[in-house]
Amino acid sequence: MRAYTAADEEALRISQLLKDWVNLGFLEESQRETMQQDIPCELRRTNVFLRAVLFIFTLISAAAACGLFFVVFSPHSDSSATGLLLVLFAAACYTGAEFAVSQYHLYRYGIEEGLAVLTVGFLCVGLQIILSRDNIEFVVLAVGAVTSYLLYHRFGFQYLFLAAMIFAAAIPQYWTASHSGQRLIVAVFYLTGLAIITRVRPAHLFDYLDAEYSFIEAILWLGLYLSLNLRLIPSEVTGPFYWTTFALIWLLPAIVLWRSVAIKDRTITSLGLVLAILTLATNKPYLGLPHHAWDPILLGILLIGVAIAARRWLANGPAGIRHGFTAQRLSARDKQWIDSLSPTLAIVLPNPATLTPVAPEHEFGGGTSGGGGASSDF
Amino acid sequence: MTLPSQLDRWKEQGAITPEQHALLTGLSRDEPCSLFLPLNFLLYAGVFALIGGLGWTVQTYAAQLGDVLVVTALTAILAGALWYCFTHAPTMVLDYVLYLGCLTWSLELAYIETHFHLLSGQWDNYLLATACFFFALAYRFDNRFVLSLALSTLAGWFGITISRLPGTQEPAYRQYAILYGLLVAVAGIALRRFAIKPHFFGTWLNVAANVLLAAVLSGVFERDNYLLWFPLLLVGCGAALAYGLAQRQFVFIAYAALYGYIGVSSILIRGMSGATAILSYFVVTGIAMLVTLIVVARRFGRES
Repeated sequence: MRAYTAADEEALRISQLLKDWVNLGFLEESQRETMQQDIPCELRRTNVFLRAVLFIFTLISAAAACGLFFVVFSPHSDSSATGLLLVLFAAACYTGAEFAVSQYHLYRYGIEEGLAVLTVGFLCVGLQIILSRDNIEFVVLAVGAVTSYLLYHRFGFQYLFLAAMIFAAAIPQYWTASHSGQRLIVAVFYLTGLAIITRVRPAHLFDYLDAEYSFIEAILWLGLYLSLNLRLIPSEVTGPFYWTTFALIWLLPAIVLWRSVAIKDRTITSLGLVLAILTLATNKPYLGLPHHAWDPILLGILLIGVAIAARRWLANGPAGIRHGFTAQRLSARDKQWIDSLSPTLAIVLPNPATLTPVAPEHEFGGGTSGGGGASSDF
Repeated sequence: MTLPSQLDRWKEQGAITPEQHALLTGLSRDEPCSLFLPLNFLLYAGVFALIGGLGWTVQTYAAQLGDVLVVTALTAILAGALWYCFTHAPTMVLDYVLYLGCLTWSLELAYIETHFHLLSGQWDNYLLATACFFFALAYRFDNRFVLSLALSTLAGWFGITISRLPGTQEPAYRQYAILYGLLVAVAGIALRRFAIKPHFFGTWLNVAANVLLAAVLSGVFERDNYLLWFPLLLVGCGAALAYGLAQRQFVFIAYAALYGYIGVSSILIRGMSGATAILSYFVVTGIAMLVTLIVVARRFGRES
């Protein structure tokens, strides 16, 4: 059962949408204030940056407390006792997360998230220590997957679903030595997840769970694709299975894009595009052909061409809409995403101007015109 | 109660007009569904792939293609991009065409320098001119991608690469980083004061804050003279905290908390010996930071 009531989570979603619509000019601020009074919500949230910092300090203090306990109270305990204590710490962390939510109504506040993550971490490490002699490591992974999933289900932390998927992907290596068998089992795991989510989603298309299920479906498609693409995550598989996966990596992006159009889901659309790019990028290695230096140019022209054509086609429809789709921005958060990501990407990604023959590597000095010595001997 | 039924109620109450009701009901059902973000993603990925491919091709086949062809092709792309930007109305596509043009300019200049050495000994002037050109384009076309490119090119003129900053122990490198950070901060403040694209101020200040705090923090990590840098770190974190609280810019509170905690911890842990003392320190200070941040979040963060 979910730790939060559906009414509270729906109220939060509505509250965010109202702010978004004010930013886009669809509502007046005074209207929003009036409407906000009709959607009371007890949940306590915080800013995304404070959330991140609170998460980090929760990890630091709780992990240090665990370490301190071992140092002070059981410095010479055997491995079983250590493992058991870690499991107890996991239970304590889970209790702490529950307490923070039930007593203080924390919602995506960083603290309860840090405690939930530590629950999985302590439990897995503890079990690993306890079971290390029994050679049944897959139990640890299975417990990690199940615990991550249950905590996701309880608190709604989507990254814990991702963690559950990663744990699950590591399990088949203990069941079979066959690489194709491992890939197949992982694909079946994710396909099962997809079958469930596609059945569950229609009941929540217009409520707070829609965005969450959209993300879950997207990462399940991504997981399925990664498990089948034998050139993106290299594997020594050959024969019919290899060529079947080759066909599937072409088929999957088409299926995902078709589904995204059918259910009008932007997250799934974006993922479909990512999968299509990955397929184009791994096509040559799959066929054993060498990459050419101009391949990225062709890919770039293709992507830009598709984007411009799609935008034009949509913009030329009545009121800029075709078949229920538009290229216009209808959420202030879209702009915030681009505004916050673009500077980071532009700074982090290579800048050809600064990748020049005379990069400063040694001592600074000289410089002919007051720069950081970029032109002179260092 | 779901959003569509809430909207029906607000319409009945007169809180929203029938037109607003129709619009918002459609939006709440994703009708129409906006492909703004996926199209932006395609354009960005396309530009990045194109420029990466150009760089790779030029590097691999320069000898076969010949200098004339390479320079002509790159110049044609640059001219085409600039022509498009100066002759078309601002759209989503224009942002990426401009970005492509700027990256092509950088690539072309790097090629000319590598093959003809026309700018030997003048590379810093050249970076500065490129940065100025990018700043002018960023402000002319209101483009954050190009602004960030200009800031990273200016950093290059100072001899700074962002990825190298946090771990550096070179005093000169650190001094240039501080100078760069101060210049960016002052320029950002001045441009905002003159109301020249004040919405770019956040980008200027974020770059300045991170470069300054990372540079000062690297000084605190030094074995010698770290006590000279420590007060500077405290001043920097204090300023970030004060600005963050005053302007409700919580990212600056996060900078103050993280850079400050790392700096103070690195100083205090030096004098400690034994796991008990160090772990106790992290327990106590970790909880203290949590309590402080919760107070800040409750007092200032609720509305954000």
